[in-house]
Amino acid sequence: MEHAHWHRVMVLSLLLVGLIALPVWGDELVAVQRGKAVLQAVGGCSCHTDDKHSGAFLAGGRPIKTPFGTVYSTNITPAPKTGIGTWSEADFHKAMTQGIGPDGKHYFPVFPYTSFTHMTEQDVRDLKAYLFSIPPVEQANKPPELRFPFGWRTGLLVWRWLNFRPGTFQPHSDQSAEWNRGVYLVTALGHCAECHTPRNWLGGLKTTLAYAGSADGPEGELAPNITPDEATGIGKWSVADIVWFLQTGLKPNGDDTQGLMSVVIENGYKHLPEADLRAIAAYLRSLPPIRNKVVKKDK
Amino acid sequence: MTRAQRNLYGCLVVFVCLMLTSAGIQAQEEEAFIQYRQKVMTSNGANMGAIGDILKNKLPYQSHISVHALEIQRMSTLIPDAFKKDIAAGKTDAKPEIWKEWDKFTAAANTMGLEAAELAKVAQNGNMEAIGAQVKKLSDSCGNCHKPYRKPKEESYKNKS
Repeated sequence: MEHAHWHRVMVLSLLLVGLIALPVWGDELVAVQRGKAVLQAVGGCSCHTDDKHSGAFLAGGRPIKTPFGTVYSTNITPAPKTGIGTWSEADFHKAMTQGIGPDGKHYFPVFPYTSFTHMTEQDVRDLKAYLFSIPPVEQANKPPELRFPFGWRTGLLVWRWLNFRPGTFQPHSDQSAEWNRGVYLVTALGHCAECHTPRNWLGGLKTTLAYAGSADGPEGELAPNITPDEATGIGKWSVADIVWFLQTGLKPNGDDTQGLMSVVIENGYKHLPEADLRAIAAYLRSLPPIRNKVVKKDK
Repeated sequence: MTRAQRNLYGCLVVFVCLMLTSAGIQAQEEEAFIQYRQKVMTSNGANMGAIGDILKNKLPYQSHISVHALEIQRMSTLIPDAFKKDIAAGKTDAKPEIWKEWDKFTAAANTMGLEAAELAKVAQNGNMEAIGAQVKKLSDSCGNCHKPYRKPKEESYKNKS
């Protein structure tokens, strides 16, 4: 009798705990789902997966060639020793929006915190929730191989003073909701400028040539001019053309895109809701057209 | 200069001229081959682009998708012949790997043909989701050949200074 009573109490208490915990667990699940959508809008964080060497998902190690040397992406799985498994919300937020690690180390701007600084707090939190839901993989990070003086972290203070403008994206009240969503997707999440805007000799973005293409994109690739200039940019592309391209990787002439762009479409942009892709297209089409033919110089 | 020497120099000049002319003729001939195979590939792009136009702009030409897909399938059978001649220099983005891995290259062209034929079939059923998925497979088959056998845009002859 006594035993049956305790049994009932136990079952009831467990149920109660379960009921209290359910909404929290549910919230967490929703955050993970939202975070996955953020990851896709970022392009799948594809630089953090070394797919050329069949590396584990987001475990880093992908070599990223830049004009300043080669950097290896870091492990952003929730592995406690070599990944970000021990990071707090605040650590993650600081890394994403200020480019400073939990150990106080300044990141090289090959990690586009200069774009992610514009992300909303909610999106940063959700992205962390998603990253903490993926399988942890212990894989040590590789140190960067940068030419002097670019490997000197203290020098980054000067770089930041020159090039880093922190702050969450503020919508422009005189523009449409679609346009504002487009700006947010292109500048804060998609970080298009990081590859499509050329850089000066110090690696800062040449803002006068914003989105006008770069001959020295990441991994030695050429990033085309995506301003609406008809001769050298994508001025002849309609909104539907841009949406279709971001869904399939197919250009209006039927050719397919290659390189990092095909990777970020596959892992990221193609999963975005069509309304978001239209917003991206609306913003890109509103950019000032810049005539700039991107040509690779023979070395 | 003796007569024999004059004759020798004369012969040499004629020989060099002949060599240069034949090199010129050969370059022109190679250019013609390059132009032809580029047209074969451009026609694939044009048909792929047309399929894209119908889908992205929701044009009332859904029945045309099969026709474009069949065109790509037919063109795929010309690719091995069009690329048979080993020409990797000049105004071309064809990589020498094509002729080093000839069997793989022709197999990739064949796969594209099969995917195109499948799209022609799927398009007749009219299920948009299935059509989209098969377009993706066909476009992947283009990419799977472009990746190893076509120079990326940063190495393209079109983007060199």
